[in-house]
Amino acid sequence: MAFSNEQLERYSRHIILKEIGAKGQKKLLNGKVLIIGAGGLGAPAAMYLAAAGVGTIGIADADNVDLSNLQRQVIHTTSDVGKPKVESACETMQAINPDIEVKTYQTFVTSENILDLIDGYDFVLDGTDNFPAKFLINDACVIAKKSFSHAGIIRFQGQLMTYVPDSGACYRCVFKQPPPPDAVPTCRQAGVVGAMAGVIGCLQAMEAVKFFINAGNLLTGSLLTYNALTMDFRKIKLPKPDGKCPVCGEHPTILQPFDYEQAVCDLKEK
Amino acid sequence: MFLTVAGNQKEYENGITVAKLVELENVETPQYVTVSVNDDFVENGTLETTVLHDGDTVEFLYFMGGGNARSILY
Amino acid sequence: MPAHESQTEYPIDDTVDITDVVCPTTFVKAKVALEELDDGQVLSIRMNDGEPVQNVPRSIKEEGHKILKLLDNHDGTYNLIVQKIGE
Repeated sequence: MAFSNEQLERYSRHIILKEIGAKGQKKLLNGKVLIIGAGGLGAPAAMYLAAAGVGTIGIADADNVDLSNLQRQVIHTTSDVGKPKVESACETMQAINPDIEVKTYQTFVTSENILDLIDGYDFVLDGTDNFPAKFLINDACVIAKKSFSHAGIIRFQGQLMTYVPDSGACYRCVFKQPPPPDAVPTCRQAGVVGAMAGVIGCLQAMEAVKFFINAGNLLTGSLLTYNALTMDFRKIKLPKPDGKCPVCGEHPTILQPFDYEQAVCDLKEK
Repeated sequence: MFLTVAGNQKEYENGITVAKLVELENVETPQYVTVSVNDDFVENGTLETTVLHDGDTVEFLYFMGGGNARSILY
Repeated sequence: MPAHESQTEYPIDDTVDITDVVCPTTFVKAKVALEELDDGQVLSIRMNDGEPVQNVPRSIKEEGHKILKLLDNHDGTYNLIVQKIGE
């Protein structure tokens, strides 16, 4: 595949980089990323990955844009309120870069459809807001041997880690199982600074880019935490994968993805 | 004894358990925090029996949701 | 054979014309053409006088490639003959 002059110009700042170059840009153009959740984390990640020329980007989200989303979900605008999030996200991404293909999935991601959804993608980006979804994404990616980026944000804090098959702990190794509904604060109850979604979502996009260009070190076996009030970034070394982990351990008992119960208030919430 | 807790070195009473440290550090939602000591997970239910030693490195790993996209529901 | 190629004693493996783009795409286009070559192969880069001829050779040198010759085509363009060094 030869670059057009327009592509050379569009991606010039990438191609100039020794770590990317023409080869790396081609890898990005051939890359396929699935973003689950077109919300606070998914929004900046989707925009930067679209701009970067990641050739195929899938985006899954069942919701419509709500006015309360706009404080941090920068891929949507005021005129998008009421529109399906995946549609609004797709429009923004194609406006940024018509050079890429955006696939939209206006659906809830469940144990029924997750393996089909992630099939064909090279990298999965978890931009969901609830623990059942985070465990579901982890389990499905471990089972399907997919690399993925996990992240969470609350108040002035954020954290992320990357899972690559056979290198480092999975999310379940660290957190075992979802806490009971409402046992730990979520951003809906506790609030979150909009820019936190930008910081952490962009770091997830950065992990995806590095995954494709194969440069530097991914956050495998590490959890990066960010406290915006103290401006401390900490890269915490995680223990090695738990041999007894029910999904990635030596004798896995979770062989198929499954769903956890959702909190009742989540079901009712708009 | 000195422990390195979440990156900070501090002095603690000799022979305290992980459970005591969790209490001293005012860990939020302590029952749902994952603790690692010297890069090993402290197994669930052993916080009270795991005794810390001088020079140990302790990390608290917190659940963090966020992102605000309800992508799963049934 | 184009006139410029007869002007050089070096065997040219590939040519690229960067007169149709502006900085920094000039260098980017040349860099991409160099990436397509194998180690030791020679690229002839046609570029405009002025900014490109001042900056592109320097940038290519910084990338570690070997500048063999700069030929004046006497039509406001130059041909830069570069040997690719390394992967």
